[in-house]
Amino acid sequence: MWAINLRIAAVVLGTLAIYTLIANKIPQVQSEVPRALALGADVTPEQLVSAGDELYNGSGGCTACHGLGTRAPNITSDEKGQGAIGARCGSREPGKDCKAYLHEALTRPGAFVVPGYEPIMPDVSRTLSPQQIWALVAYLESLGGTVTVTAADIPAAGGLTPGASPGNTQSGGGSTAFAGGSTDPMAMLRDGGCVGCHKIGEEGGAVGPDLSRVGARLNAAGIREAILAPDAKISPGFENFAGIMPKNYGEQMTAGQLEALVRFLGGRK
Amino acid sequence: MILQAVADTLPLYRDFPIIGSRGAVWIAAELHLMFAAFVLGVPMFAVVAEAIGIFGKDQRYDRLAKEFTRLLLIAYSATAIWGAVLTFLLATLYPRFWAYLTQIFGASMWVYVSIFFFESFTLYLYYYGWDRWKVGRSKIVHWSLGILLNIWGTLVMFIADSWLTYMMTPPRDITPETATTSIKIWHAIMNHTWMPINIHRLIGNVVFGGAIVGAYASYRFLASTSDEERAHYDWMGYVGNFIAIAALIVLPFAGYWLGREIYQYDQSMGITMMGGFMSWLWVIQAFLIAVLFLAGNYYLWIGMGRIPGAERFRPYTKWLLAVLVIGAIVWGTPHTMIADSRELTAMGGSHHPFLGVLGVMSAKNTAVNLMILATFLSFLMYRRANTRPVVPWAKTGTQIQGAMFAIAAAIVLFYGIRGYFVEAIVRIGYSVYQVGAVLACIVFVTVIDVLLARGAESRGTIQWGKMPPRSQYALFILAVTFTWLMGLMGFARSGIRQHWHVWQVIPDTSPYAATPALGYAAIMISVCVLIFLALVGFIFWLGGLAEKSTFVEAKHVGH
Repeated sequence: MWAINLRIAAVVLGTLAIYTLIANKIPQVQSEVPRALALGADVTPEQLVSAGDELYNGSGGCTACHGLGTRAPNITSDEKGQGAIGARCGSREPGKDCKAYLHEALTRPGAFVVPGYEPIMPDVSRTLSPQQIWALVAYLESLGGTVTVTAADIPAAGGLTPGASPGNTQSGGGSTAFAGGSTDPMAMLRDGGCVGCHKIGEEGGAVGPDLSRVGARLNAAGIREAILAPDAKISPGFENFAGIMPKNYGEQMTAGQLEALVRFLGGRK
Repeated sequence: MILQAVADTLPLYRDFPIIGSRGAVWIAAELHLMFAAFVLGVPMFAVVAEAIGIFGKDQRYDRLAKEFTRLLLIAYSATAIWGAVLTFLLATLYPRFWAYLTQIFGASMWVYVSIFFFESFTLYLYYYGWDRWKVGRSKIVHWSLGILLNIWGTLVMFIADSWLTYMMTPPRDITPETATTSIKIWHAIMNHTWMPINIHRLIGNVVFGGAIVGAYASYRFLASTSDEERAHYDWMGYVGNFIAIAALIVLPFAGYWLGREIYQYDQSMGITMMGGFMSWLWVIQAFLIAVLFLAGNYYLWIGMGRIPGAERFRPYTKWLLAVLVIGAIVWGTPHTMIADSRELTAMGGSHHPFLGVLGVMSAKNTAVNLMILATFLSFLMYRRANTRPVVPWAKTGTQIQGAMFAIAAAIVLFYGIRGYFVEAIVRIGYSVYQVGAVLACIVFVTVIDVLLARGAESRGTIQWGKMPPRSQYALFILAVTFTWLMGLMGFARSGIRQHWHVWQVIPDTSPYAATPALGYAAIMISVCVLIFLALVGFIFWLGGLAEKSTFVEAKHVGH
């Protein structure tokens, strides 16, 4: 009986040893926690790029999609002969310079989706701090382009809140409201990136529900909820896109802007 | 407010000596889960076996069911002990996070404990009433107790699943700022992955139960001192292996559903799982499943040695082995591995110049579907080995079965090759056709086979017990591999949360927040499997002490 017990123990231990050995022989990749950044007013572009490099190739998880050329655009080397991202970011989206585009791509990824790709990019402001996001922008600019991110862009020095676009920062009052605080609904819809996904009239994309006649199916309270808590109710047929719409519009608009937008959309019947 | 105030004053974390708090919780959770799978899977096994005993009037199955229910009594204690250890560790090592969970799920925890109480007493009634309620209508009442036991067990599992799935996929309207008092419990329970995990675990428990039954039977077979005893445990090992492999074939479909829900909830989470830092995990998984297929088939092929008439099928086994080995190699080929920009540059592109072609889903889906077909064919040959059909359409029926195999294989190959020439979104749809063809083949061929077997002549009696010892070690390898695979998949499910206790709601800021690499995880899994198997071995030994068996004469016919 002892011989049988020993043989069984040998089979069990041998099997476990083989599995453990194989799992230890393959490349070891640990998922790191994004390191908190404390960037002072004297931060240099090189420091920003270095921090961004570490995030991009490590805990940021960017390389899971970017660089493979299948799920998302190739960022680091070349994409359809246009060079690395730093060389092409300034001409990606009309009216947005490289810095503004990259920041938008990270924090409002649904605002502009590169043709040929699915809108799968997550809003990284859910997982990264504003400092980390700016470090990423600096690193991406450095890939074939010029780094224009400075300490002034970073919240502690520049007063930017998460999700706010540098192109929309008011120089005087420090307001972070988009469209420069304007209550013109179409200006807000365009500057907020809404038309990147939603169609309104002849303008806009098809990632989210068409807003051309949104007032016919939602009352004012429903529209307000859809802006402030976009995942509270998902329109039928758009379940696969749940989670894409940024949830921080409430932080980027004044109360006057929000109500103006609600009134405008409520009137589209 | 009082609860919140108490929670706010708790320390965030405490540490555990030597192995750290993560290691301590990992071991307790894993062992609790393994025992829970055992005590949920085996009652399913027992109640089905008892039903076959009642309605098929075969006493062997009734005895089999009772034998396993006896082991359950001890295993329940082990499950409860590890559950208590896990609860105490969570409450003391992660007090603030534990307080958060109890604020949301407190009510369901009370229900959980109540059901566990009912479940335990139903089990006592089920086991101790076995000999008292063994004939007529009272036997049906007894069997109903077995069904009730399974219902309680399933409910307990569903409740516990809601806690862990909430940690993975909390409803999207819940943010770090959301007050726990404003979260409705049913809203938290009905999260994206709750039901897919429930179904996946339900099937997984059947597989696990079958594998452990097989291991138990093989141990008792090897320790048997009489032919009668050896015959009984040989038959029990065959039944356990059959159930494990049959349920394993269905398990990937539940896995696909779970994966799809994860992607729909958060693409980045899905990508982290399949193409991110966990991508190598799936290569290991492919290797483990290849071991399961090979060991399961090997056991069947050796088992054919005790069946008169099986010699005519022996020449085919080498071709089946070839399909399994080639399939395993293709399935285990890496494709999209996480790589940084420097590694991508060194490789000269995103994919390996040669292996990248074999590592795509078209090739892998084709490989795994052909492996399933080969395994089914092995089982069919085993089933047909000692029978000679007498129905007048026997030859035509067999030809139709052969044609179905050929058509299914052709469909699998056609879509596998065509997948290389179409867009990804079209290619994904092809896997449905491949799986559909294989499932249809399995269903229709089985139906024809059952009809063919009507009144079939026997080519000789199956010589239960006439199995070489090496076949029993294959059953051990199956049980170890199933258990290890369960630990690996648990790591995948839990690890995709990365440095979050609750995904994007409660961050893990402890020193153990980083999700470890596969090497470390493998060591932890092996330690857990070793402790589990040692404890199960002890339970088996106790079971042997409790009953010095009296054996029911096996009827030695059919399967």
